[in-house]
Amino acid sequence: MARRRAANGQKVRTIRNSLALALTSAVLAGSSFAGRGVNSSQATAKSTTAAVSLAKPLSTRVVAYQIEATLIPREHRIKASETLDYKNLTGRPQQTFPFHLYLNAFQPQSTFMTEVRLYGTRGNGPGTPWAPRHFGSITVTKFEVEGQGDLTGKMEFIQPDDHNREDHTVFQVTLPKPIPAGASVVFHMDFEDVMPEVVERTGYTRDFYMVGQWFPKVGVWWKNQWNCHQFHATTEFFADFGTFDVKLTVPQDDFVGAGGDLITSQNHSDGTKTLTFHSEDVHDFSWTASPHYTLVEDSWNGSAGRVAIHLFMSPGNMSSAPRYLRATKGTLSLYDQWVGPYPYDRITIVDPPHGALDAGGMEYPTLITAGTTWWMPKGLRVPEVVVCHEFGHQYWYGMVATNEFEEAWLDEGINSYMEVKIMAALYGRDTSMLDFPFAQEGDAEAQRTSYLEIPAYDPLTRFAWQFFDDESYGGVTYGKTATMLLTLEKMIGEDKMRQAMHEYFMRYRFTHPTGEDFLKTLEDVTGQDLRWYFDQAAYGTNILDYEIADAHSDPVRWYQPVSGGRKPYRSYVTVHREGDFVFPVDVRVKFDDGSSTVEHWDGRDRWVRYTYEQGAQVETAEIDPDQKIVLDRNFFNNSYAVHGDDRATHKLLNIWVFANEWISALIAWIT
Amino acid sequence: MLGSSVDAVHAAVAPKPKAFASGASLVWRRQRILWWIFAVNLILAFLGAVGVAHGIADDAGVRLNHSLEARRLVHGFDVSAMAELGALPEDPLRGSSRMFLWPSFLFTVFMLFMTGGILASYYDELQLDAAAFFEACGRYFGRFVRLLVYFAIVLTPLAILASAAGRLYEHVDDRSVSPYAGPLFLAAIAVLTLGLLLCVRLWFDMAEVLAVVGDNRSMHRMLRRSAALLWHNFGSLFWVYFRISVIGWALFGAGLYVWMMVLRPESTTGAFFIAQLMILVWLGTRLWQRASETDWYRQYRVGQYAQLPMPTPNATPAATSEPAGTPEQ
Repeated sequence: MARRRAANGQKVRTIRNSLALALTSAVLAGSSFAGRGVNSSQATAKSTTAAVSLAKPLSTRVVAYQIEATLIPREHRIKASETLDYKNLTGRPQQTFPFHLYLNAFQPQSTFMTEVRLYGTRGNGPGTPWAPRHFGSITVTKFEVEGQGDLTGKMEFIQPDDHNREDHTVFQVTLPKPIPAGASVVFHMDFEDVMPEVVERTGYTRDFYMVGQWFPKVGVWWKNQWNCHQFHATTEFFADFGTFDVKLTVPQDDFVGAGGDLITSQNHSDGTKTLTFHSEDVHDFSWTASPHYTLVEDSWNGSAGRVAIHLFMSPGNMSSAPRYLRATKGTLSLYDQWVGPYPYDRITIVDPPHGALDAGGMEYPTLITAGTTWWMPKGLRVPEVVVCHEFGHQYWYGMVATNEFEEAWLDEGINSYMEVKIMAALYGRDTSMLDFPFAQEGDAEAQRTSYLEIPAYDPLTRFAWQFFDDESYGGVTYGKTATMLLTLEKMIGEDKMRQAMHEYFMRYRFTHPTGEDFLKTLEDVTGQDLRWYFDQAAYGTNILDYEIADAHSDPVRWYQPVSGGRKPYRSYVTVHREGDFVFPVDVRVKFDDGSSTVEHWDGRDRWVRYTYEQGAQVETAEIDPDQKIVLDRNFFNNSYAVHGDDRATHKLLNIWVFANEWISALIAWIT
Repeated sequence: MLGSSVDAVHAAVAPKPKAFASGASLVWRRQRILWWIFAVNLILAFLGAVGVAHGIADDAGVRLNHSLEARRLVHGFDVSAMAELGALPEDPLRGSSRMFLWPSFLFTVFMLFMTGGILASYYDELQLDAAAFFEACGRYFGRFVRLLVYFAIVLTPLAILASAAGRLYEHVDDRSVSPYAGPLFLAAIAVLTLGLLLCVRLWFDMAEVLAVVGDNRSMHRMLRRSAALLWHNFGSLFWVYFRISVIGWALFGAGLYVWMMVLRPESTTGAFFIAQLMILVWLGTRLWQRASETDWYRQYRVGQYAQLPMPTPNATPAATSEPAGTPEQ
């Protein structure tokens, strides 16, 4: 069913890539000039195509949020009121309801900040001194429940994860009367946000605003209990699906992008305007505002219909716009083809301005934040990979809404695996991250490398805030998951893997699956028992590392003089399982007469020795010659050539010596 | 002594010395110095690399010479292979990074020692023999160590200023909507800092030249006289110094380009020669600066003497009007 919604008042400076959209807008623009807009003021007419039938919701809509918010730019505050209609589908009466107050994480004694001081987080190392301007907060000033009165006094902060009483990121209210199963309850809240200067995905920089996790958000009834974790340095989010109707009052000069369809726009005499957005079958709502955006519009047609692409570009970054668009469309196409349809009618991409990159690289339903700079070289695929990754979260987090607090690998990791596949398809397997004439790198290798740094401290399945540190969280959750899935793909075949990803998405979209659901889907599709692999790769911390411990030949008649001929030879190849991860491996042994043989070892014992008696001597021995087991920690010890080749050593030494000489010469300049 | 007042008077009338080409010629004629410095630098770096070589070639965890995976490093600069090598617990690269420091330290001390001999050799019309060269090295070593201390003292406020400018850059970058304002400001700071650094280096270089030419022991006096000399002849001196710096950087960049873009990745011998050529050029341009400064001063003195009135039988002895840089009694 197609929807057409007219909107006016939103000042836009647009570059339209889609001729159809341009014509549509031109027709409608005449009646929608904004009040204060003079120069480039032009109204957009929202032309949206609902990709799905509105008669039947895509998700089980547990929540319906209505928020009216006013941005006060001078104070970097947001004053808002929220009405939450919560449907009790828990199957039992509910009397106590927990809510997230994420912005309170940005307080000095919060759990989040304590963890940042301990081990760092996105872009902030351990012990980072946070300037006061990076503090933020959210205060609920009124809490009412329809039919039960004002319960503001009954709000209490709770700390389910660490009992840090200074942490105010979760509160709960116990109602006087329980809400029966199947009934609804309506909460009315007034709240005020103090936005931090951009930090951890949200905040302001100058007059740019990226407003995420900004309203009181109810927890999720999951596995027969409330799931409402505190906000941690390494955790993201978890919420129920529903609808959002949000009214935002902002300065008229601002361009506003949001995770919803723009329904109306109304200018006010005080220089502000109110924009109304609607979104459904999503579990969050975020928005951005800045007077300096350039809006680039484009569209893409997929199996579920047309998708409008809104790209909000910051000053100086326009050269990255075509790169963002190509990556977005390519990613949309491949997800559509490989995983499943993208059911929403829009995707908004926010390009944060300089100084606000901490707001970049983040996903919200139908809105993602990207990241680039004005000087971004073409061969450095940062804009592409960020868009590819964050868009992927529309599937893994957005629709397959796993618990990011408890099983971050299911969204970040699976998404990283898909990112590797898509980046390789779009930009080349070996050049999807770096593509310079003198250096290249593929995304798969980059993911693997990030895992190698600290591979054995944490299993994938650890709760996100319980990882050893931020580096381990990143390397394992993103890098190891991607690498273990790439290894799995080599085991079961690319087609089966793709089929499994499709099946997993179709089964679990708009639900909250777990790691076990993912494993079960894989086993169902492949018909194989994969638990042995998941037990080690996902639930365990064992290192996968095999090495050729020895390869050499010895004359059988070693006691005879050389002149008498030394053939045949007895050749030995010893394979050692260096790590505790048991994995069957192939070993290819080549001989100096050109012959070769492939051995298969189940890898269960600690080592195995192969012995050959023949006229030829062993030349090379190589574990996993086709490099299927990318989870192997050390590729360098996977092979052994009897006759050495010192070119690589010479090359490294040459670089080393040169660098040392040059630095010496630079330092000697002081004399 | 008339010292700097004579410099000031004659700066206006004496012909400007032209030391750019003559400096290069001096480096060529005294090329043995360059080769020695180059060889010492190479040997020190090579000795520093021995530990690394052992680590990557023979370490049980890597055994690069016998690993087929090493091909990734041979056929191009494989970022992932390098990263993997660096991430291994055996840590063949990182563990040896300390080996980077001592060759640099020793080379710096070596250059400090050599400077007296180099300058004496460049100033002398005739090539010094080894004994005279090292005698000059030894004679000025202690003085140049003192000069190095002065250099550090002078650089301290410069570093403080640069740090303050860096904070100002953050402020400008934070406030400006345009993404270019901050980087432009930073570029301006960088150019200014670099310019100041060049000036300070030139100042100290000339102090060293004056010290060697006049066999002066008082380094702070040499600094004062060098400052006066630079003050009155800044354009001429800086232009020579700056041009050679630019040539040095340009040739270094060209070398990098050839190494990365032209040379086959598999060519280890070719890469070695290109790398060493770059170092040779880099060291050569620094010596070119020293030779040009020295020759500039020689021409400058000759010019000054030419401007002095011819002595008459009853005139005052010329020694009383000797220009800056003449030996003190």
